[in-house]
Amino acid sequence: MLRRFRLEEPESVQETAELLGRFGESAKIYAGGTELLLAMKEGLVQYERLINVKKLQGLSELKLENDTISIGALCTHYQLETAALLKERLPALVELERNVANVRVRYSGTIGGNLCFAEPHADPGTLLLALGATLVAQKSSSRREIPAEEFFVDAYETCLEADEVLSEIRIPVPAAKSGIAYLKFGYLERPSVGLAIALKLNGGISDARVAVGCAGPAPRRVPEAEAMLKGKSIEEASRNLANAGQAAARTAQAITDLHGSQDYKEHIIGVLLKRAFQRSVAQK
Amino acid sequence: MQFEKEVEIGVPRQKVWNFIWDVDRFIACIPGCKEAKTLEPGKRYTATMVEKVGPFKVEFPTTIVVLESEELSHIKAQASGADNKIGSRMKIELDVNLREQGDKTVLGFTAGVDILGKLAALGHGIIKRKADQVLDEFAQAVKKQLEGES
Repeated sequence: MLRRFRLEEPESVQETAELLGRFGESAKIYAGGTELLLAMKEGLVQYERLINVKKLQGLSELKLENDTISIGALCTHYQLETAALLKERLPALVELERNVANVRVRYSGTIGGNLCFAEPHADPGTLLLALGATLVAQKSSSRREIPAEEFFVDAYETCLEADEVLSEIRIPVPAAKSGIAYLKFGYLERPSVGLAIALKLNGGISDARVAVGCAGPAPRRVPEAEAMLKGKSIEEASRNLANAGQAAARTAQAITDLHGSQDYKEHIIGVLLKRAFQRSVAQK
Repeated sequence: MQFEKEVEIGVPRQKVWNFIWDVDRFIACIPGCKEAKTLEPGKRYTATMVEKVGPFKVEFPTTIVVLESEELSHIKAQASGADNKIGSRMKIELDVNLREQGDKTVLGFTAGVDILGKLAALGHGIIKRKADQVLDEFAQAVKKQLEGES
């Protein structure tokens, strides 16, 4: 049962940050509520105050700014799944969003809430790492941009300070010749493993970013695997996929749990890396 | 969940043994453990364990019972507690072993940890990882305390 709480309704990001600063750990931001309210109903967390940010202006916008796709933190998964801009410029994110949880979650859950809750089995963080996204955090009087790979600290833990509000996700528009894929696999409600690849293709592979998530405590980029693909021809890189998969498996810090044993997850990571690579190079 | 740790401490066994029974100093080495009280010296103690994973916090008022103790070499203890706020229980079976290695001591412990109730919803893997971190920090803190004073 949901316990009593006070609902604060700030009118700006600055006011939200001030409330967070004033009430500290007794308050929490409430956006879609798809994770938070479940945890509160279960009694796993208790807050005296929820700070409702759903009415904040400007945080639900999705736009193209020069070479950057700007996604407001309050954009819902459904909004991203159906956005014409993303369908045209970043179909891999559309596909990911289309497969997040179920339609009820996608309709109310927000991308910002998903990232801030940092549930280890969430999908978007992994792809954002591969896309080189930055996350904008605002306080009452300052603003900073955080590379996605620095944002996730541990399970359920981000690098956001107590009075910081995630306001925007900024993704560089992928180059014309690029291949991007996010694949996941699982047999429960949430995935056991998620893996993302973003390649710049110029006949060969001029740049490669690889990220792995869901298997361990937080999504992680895999520079070791990237080095095995970058600067190689597609044939050369294809020969390195098994080693790249092993590097990704090591980086994932896979945990044995209901979603599978460590060995199982590490094996699946290798399989997904191979398939994601094949799908990415097929987009050239 | 089963855990095993060993830490080599650069002081003689007697000193490590004395330290274990110096409750206040010993408890200070366990991350998140506070308010230790001796109910019956060498037999029963209470303490409060506070742990945090992201926004999830647990507070277990814990009773520790020493089941066996063999001078300078072995202690078997059981700790149990419940967090009624979130409806979860914890039980730890702990074996502590001391072994001489030259002028050093190897402190080894085996812990069987059971977590029951809603906290388990966080997932076995996440809890195991947290418990592992706590045990590592504990082992390093004991080493630092003892080697620091010699």
